[in-house]
Amino acid sequence: MSSLLYFIREAFKGLARHMSTTVGSIITIFLSLLIIGVSAIAGTIVQNIMNSIEDEVSITAYVSDDADEASIQAMEEWIGGLEGVSNVTFTNKDQALEDFKASMSSSPEIIDQLDGENPLPASINVELSDPQLVSDVAASIQASEDFVAICDNPDDPSDSLKYGQKTVDRLFSLTNTVRYIGYALIVLLVVIAFIFINNTVRLAILARRREISIMRLVGASNGFIRGPFLMEGALHALIGAVLAIVCLELLRNFALPMLTNALMWLPITVAGSTYVMVYVGLLVAGLLIGVIGAFFAMRRYLKI
Amino acid sequence: MANNERRQGRHSAGAVNSAMSDERRAEVAAQRTSQLSASLPVLDVNDMPEQATGIPVITFDHVSKVYDAQPDKPALRDVSLQIYAGEFVFLVGHSGSGKSTFIKLITREIVPTSGRITIADEDLGSMKAWRVPYLRRNIGCVFQDFKLLPDKTVFENVAFALEVIGKSRHVIKTQVPEVLRLVGLQDKLNKRPDQLSGGEQQRVSIARAIVNRPPLLVCDEPTGNLDPQTSRGIMDLLERINRTGTTVLVATHDREMVDNMRRRVIALDRGQLTRDQDRGVYGFDV
Repeated sequence: MSSLLYFIREAFKGLARHMSTTVGSIITIFLSLLIIGVSAIAGTIVQNIMNSIEDEVSITAYVSDDADEASIQAMEEWIGGLEGVSNVTFTNKDQALEDFKASMSSSPEIIDQLDGENPLPASINVELSDPQLVSDVAASIQASEDFVAICDNPDDPSDSLKYGQKTVDRLFSLTNTVRYIGYALIVLLVVIAFIFINNTVRLAILARRREISIMRLVGASNGFIRGPFLMEGALHALIGAVLAIVCLELLRNFALPMLTNALMWLPITVAGSTYVMVYVGLLVAGLLIGVIGAFFAMRRYLKI
Repeated sequence: MANNERRQGRHSAGAVNSAMSDERRAEVAAQRTSQLSASLPVLDVNDMPEQATGIPVITFDHVSKVYDAQPDKPALRDVSLQIYAGEFVFLVGHSGSGKSTFIKLITREIVPTSGRITIADEDLGSMKAWRVPYLRRNIGCVFQDFKLLPDKTVFENVAFALEVIGKSRHVIKTQVPEVLRLVGLQDKLNKRPDQLSGGEQQRVSIARAIVNRPPLLVCDEPTGNLDPQTSRGIMDLLERINRTGTTVLVATHDREMVDNMRRRVIALDRGQLTRDQDRGVYGFDV
């Protein structure tokens, strides 16, 4: 216990002794952890948005008013057997009108203009278990002759299929790109943080060469000689992690509400438990970087 | 002290050497020292009778050490000897004769190329690395260059040795002033090393070496940087420490000191043990 206190005291001394390198290693750790944290939370937000869009990623196939019920039923069953389809429902003309009226309830004059007629076609609604398969399923439906026979617009069957393909495609490629850039950045920063910690601990070892040789002379155990340096690496990492967490808290309390206000239609919400998990993860990751970095430095520069 | 007489009878070469006329001395000086040494009997542990008194603290059994840098010039060649509890032993020899190698082998800073070293019944060859610090806690070390920490006070320098082996604050507060009183520095607890004379610095270093009360004190050229009078003071101190039962091994160049004190002398020449006598003299011509 007293040696733990000794390690901490020595670590703080080392911190004061090599201010510039210490600040350097703390800042690199802070930055890499901050980016990891921001990516993690942004990832959660994007995931939430994706989920809400994916809920809407369904295919609507409009069916001609003349189509007979048997062939619609057959079509439904056939679509239900396609890969990636989780649920198939049928919306008849009356329901379609009701849905339309419900969605347009804020502008009743449009509904008045219908004059009691129902221009809306019936439709087969296809829900997908895997949103990435949207275009495959749509293509299969479009290629089916049976569908062309019953579709709302036989001249151009693609016109009878509605799905948010473009939005979804763009979103997927965007999030993937962002994800890979994020990974690369994190790896790079972690490597830099390692190098900084390594260098700081190396300097600490060099500065205490005499002390180390005397410690060895009088029989200090290896753990006791290494302790202060491991503690120093861990301390830098902890300070970096705490700074990153403080920064994330600021972002959460000030930047995020602004973002939510600006993008009202997007469900930007992150559960509190996610923050806690991210923060704990950052502390652990920081400690690992610090301790492993210090360990490598000791392997190279501290011969016991 | 039966074994003292035995050893003295066996190795009278040193006495002969000191009795040499000045003429003869000059002649020998003209010769190469190794020839002189070669004429002296080489000791083998095996042909010594079993010791009746005490247990050996240090046993070298056919120890050789070859450094990688000089493969054809062994630093120590087939050295066998025993040092017993409570002895005061001088280790003499020219520069490069293997004195420092001898001391580094005892503290296990290096391991022998061949042979076996036993310190207080523990075989250093089979000793696990993590045990080495515990070995060193039982060996006090004093060096020519004092090895004091410049930014710590006298008290802190001595306390450091206890601190880093995990002694409690209470132990430090009682033992450090006591040992500093023993070496005569009770008034300089708060001075820093650069405010002390060389002799005082060496006393601090000795205090640090013995503060944990090790049974063995090893000194490598403890008076190498000191004037003769100060050196005598240091040697008196070492002798006083020896009288409390600590085994003391002193590697030295200081001919006057060795000749005056008449203690057991182990002479090394080019890595070989050339002489081992009680109440011996320095022996080498300079």
